Amino acid sequence: MSATITCPICGRRSIYEFRFGGENRGPRPFDDQATAQQWYAYVHLRTNAAGPQQEWWYHRDGCGTWFTTWRDVTLDCEVEAKEGKNE
Amino acid sequence: MNDRLPGPALRVNPEKTIHFSYRGRPMQGVAGDTVATALYASGVRIFSRSFKYHRARGLYSLDGQSSTCMMEIDGIPNIKAEITSLREGMAVRPQNVLGSPQRDLLAVAQWLDWAMPPGFYYKLFHKPWFLWPIFSKMIRRAAGLGRLNEEGHPGNFENLFLNCDVCIVGGGPAGLQAALAVAELDLRVVLLETRSHLGGFYDWRVVRSAWGQPFWARGRELENTVVQHPAIRVFKQTHLTGIFADNLLSAVQTGQPGEVFDERYMEIRAGSVVVATGSAERPLVFENNDRPGIMQCGCAHRLARTYGLLPGNRAVLSVGHDLMLEAAIDLADMGLEIAVVADARSTGQDESLVDALAQRNIPLLKGWLAAEARGKKGVKRVLLTNRMREESRLFQCDLLIASAGRAPVLDPLLMTRTRFELDRQTGFMLPVQLPSRLYAAGRMLGWDDAQAIEDSGRLAGLKAAADCGFALSDFIKPLEKSLQGRFQFRARQMMSRAPGPGHKSFICFDEDVSVADIHRVVAEGFDSVELCKRYSTAGMGPSQSGIPGQNLPLALAECRGHTLESLRPAKVRSPLRPTLLGTLAGKHYQLVKQTPLRKIQQQLGASFVRAGQWERVQYFGNDPTAREEIANVHANVGLMDVSTLGKFRIVGKDALAVLQRMYVSDLSRLIPGQLKYSAMCNEDGCLIDDGMITCRGGDDYYFTTTSARARDTMEWFGYHSRFEDWDYHIVNLTDGWGAVSLAGPAARQVLSRVVKDDVGNDFYSKGYVETQLKNGIAVRLLRVGFVADQGWEIHAPASATAAVWNALWDAGQDFGIQPFGLEAQNVLRLERGHIIIGEDTELRTTLLDLGLGFLWDRNKKGFKTVGVAALHQTENQPDRMKLIGFKMNDPSQTPPGGAIIVDTQVRGYVTSVRYSQALKQSIGLALVEAPLARDGTLLEIFIGGPDRRRLGAKVQRGPFY
Repeated sequence: MSATITCPICGRRSIYEFRFGGENRGPRPFDDQATAQQWYAYVHLRTNAAGPQQEWWYHRDGCGTWFTTWRDVTLDCEVEAKEGKNE
Repeated sequence: MNDRLPGPALRVNPEKTIHFSYRGRPMQGVAGDTVATALYASGVRIFSRSFKYHRARGLYSLDGQSSTCMMEIDGIPNIKAEITSLREGMAVRPQNVLGSPQRDLLAVAQWLDWAMPPGFYYKLFHKPWFLWPIFSKMIRRAAGLGRLNEEGHPGNFENLFLNCDVCIVGGGPAGLQAALAVAELDLRVVLLETRSHLGGFYDWRVVRSAWGQPFWARGRELENTVVQHPAIRVFKQTHLTGIFADNLLSAVQTGQPGEVFDERYMEIRAGSVVVATGSAERPLVFENNDRPGIMQCGCAHRLARTYGLLPGNRAVLSVGHDLMLEAAIDLADMGLEIAVVADARSTGQDESLVDALAQRNIPLLKGWLAAEARGKKGVKRVLLTNRMREESRLFQCDLLIASAGRAPVLDPLLMTRTRFELDRQTGFMLPVQLPSRLYAAGRMLGWDDAQAIEDSGRLAGLKAAADCGFALSDFIKPLEKSLQGRFQFRARQMMSRAPGPGHKSFICFDEDVSVADIHRVVAEGFDSVELCKRYSTAGMGPSQSGIPGQNLPLALAECRGHTLESLRPAKVRSPLRPTLLGTLAGKHYQLVKQTPLRKIQQQLGASFVRAGQWERVQYFGNDPTAREEIANVHANVGLMDVSTLGKFRIVGKDALAVLQRMYVSDLSRLIPGQLKYSAMCNEDGCLIDDGMITCRGGDDYYFTTTSARARDTMEWFGYHSRFEDWDYHIVNLTDGWGAVSLAGPAARQVLSRVVKDDVGNDFYSKGYVETQLKNGIAVRLLRVGFVADQGWEIHAPASATAAVWNALWDAGQDFGIQPFGLEAQNVLRLERGHIIIGEDTELRTTLLDLGLGFLWDRNKKGFKTVGVAALHQTENQPDRMKLIGFKMNDPSQTPPGGAIIVDTQVRGYVTSVRYSQALKQSIGLALVEAPLARDGTLLEIFIGGPDRRRLGAKVQRGPFY
């Protein structure tokens, strides 16, 4: 676990105040009907990149904002946004 | 006992006596004492008996570096007396002794050492196997340290979580300068110091420094500046226990007298970290180097200067550093008779110190060191030899100050990805490559000169500050340059012992591992540092690398004939200091929420129960089955506190879109005054929440959730709309609003008496009304049939909820109003066939499995409603569990909740079950496999225990009442 996460509203805070929302894989790719394969991929599959990834975090014990940040999972710390990746 | 030598650098106040007890006998110390110094002042010389051989051990380091000073204090075992401040009324007891430390009956163990080589218990006692339990019990009794307090863990414990720009580990001159350099830029600093005062090795030295004043005065000056600086938070008696990724540090602070906690766990999140832990004395290894009366040089010097205690009468010194020669001169000036000073270095001493010794007629033996101490319960004679042991001389003394030299304290850095190399000039293991945002400073880098030590601290501080976004290269570069020119050569002294077999020359005091043991272990093939450490257990005791860490790699290199360059320090792990379990557990907070109606209900005789974050009423009076409460709701009218319900307002242009995504129903046709029951699913289509939704007009909606779900609702709404640019606001009114439930045949009459409006049929046909009570309180009325046909929830601001309750209560007197609690609610809703989420549902029961499919509006399109895709997919799966109602065949039998339903195998289980007075029948809900879910199916419910049997039941779909 990295030690801090930077909330866009409250700034750098202890990670214990946040809830992890998973890697950012964009909005749900299907509407109300989906094939089993689509649903499975959306609910269960993850990229699990070794290195920087964009993640969702929720400031649960703070302002209650959902936001994305970049974190290098091999170093366990927040990093600068990776160029050319989704915003 | 309180006669202390006067001195300028004292940290004790001899005027103020502190009373404590040792082995049940009253003793005295003075304010500022540690337990160890107070005992030493009172004449106690044997502090403990060792782990394995029960050898007598005494005061050694004053920094708690080994288990020799561990005692049981106020019922907690394994407390290091050297670093524990003395408090009034402390009860101190020795541990690991049979009898007293003076006469320990288990001391026979030291004559049996030949039978106890490393790992002996595995080698000797495993055959025959049936004897092992007996041997194991004996060994456990003889070995081991403290006695666990079985009644619990006394003491007050706390947690502290800090953020700072720079965290500085070590409050010596380098650390203090680093702190000031950072704080001058208005960055926030946290400084951790293990001792109870700042100043490091300046603190007790009376010689003049380069700044003109004595070192101790320079130290106090720095200390005061740092303590008073508003940007620096100083934590004394705080031991770093770990450094983790991204500069997360953990530490444990011992409460000082007057503090409200005994120990507290700290976590510090720092932008940058400066490690300035300085150097420690490398123990000199010789025969019987553990006898009471043998101590480190700094220990003796601090006893005299910091605590005002002359450590002995006649001393022999065997040392290896100029600081120790300085200590010898100072101790001699304070009145200690010094028989001889042996310096393991053949050359390289500071000439002025050599002259000063000569002036005092103290003989100095260059290139000599202690080879053996004699005397059983305390040192009586010391054998000094030259380095190769060609010559030797015997000296009488009662104090042996022994130290091989100095070595850096590397523990914090060893936990990081720092790369080390042995530096030939200093003989230190120096960090040559540090991870980013981590810096080392001061004496651990090999500096000896005070000015250079302070400058290197300042430099590290500036570098750490630069990481926080300051452009400081104009300051950093000149400082780096000036430091480069100031490297002073000091004779390096890597030798730690004179040649000899070393049977009683201890490398590790904690685990009684001697040099001979290391040789034996290497001979058995465990020849790398890590293997040797594990097999010999050297360094695996409470002090980890403290004392053994210095000499184990050296002894290993010597044993294998390797060069010193091949030395690798043994790994260390968190916690670096033994930490009480109580400290890690922290304070046990029972955070609980109370509703605004708690007091009223208490007066009515409520029994409360913890339900999630809340305390709720289980039942009133003495009947846990709440029969009268239930009967009263059936016959008259009941009143219940439902303030714990989640209550939310959602407003904005896109509020409806959000609700449409979350709820499975179509809410687009919701008109003001209408109230809709609906449910939320997760992406698996499983029911997670149900509640009421209403439109207050325009884009303004009000909805309720279950009590358990209230906390997560905001998060859930935010998560599922995170990719949308929706314009809405959601407000959590759960705690700001209270609610009461009015239910029963007379509910309408009661309501008509309190509500201001004209209450015709039109009023009652609405599901949702915003109105006022006659006493002027604005309320929201929700028509809810959870527990009775005639039922309303009355929502009002928390401050007015009690007034609402009272108004209903007064109006209801003519109709026999009575309060009811959770138990009554549970039975009433069961009679009506309503589910409770989490009780009758699981994380694998979909909306359809629960028979709530009617809530799902399949025609609603384009909102990406959460869970709908899964509902489509699971809809036709044949092998799902279904929720059904059942009646017992024998009306008086009530199976326990959770009982399984069987035929030839398990087919499901009972989720809720109660005996209904109204129906004269046991009824319940159960999750069963789909083929058993048809109306009228006969079920068998298995009852375990002593009278195991099967009870018959029959499926009944739909409400019972």
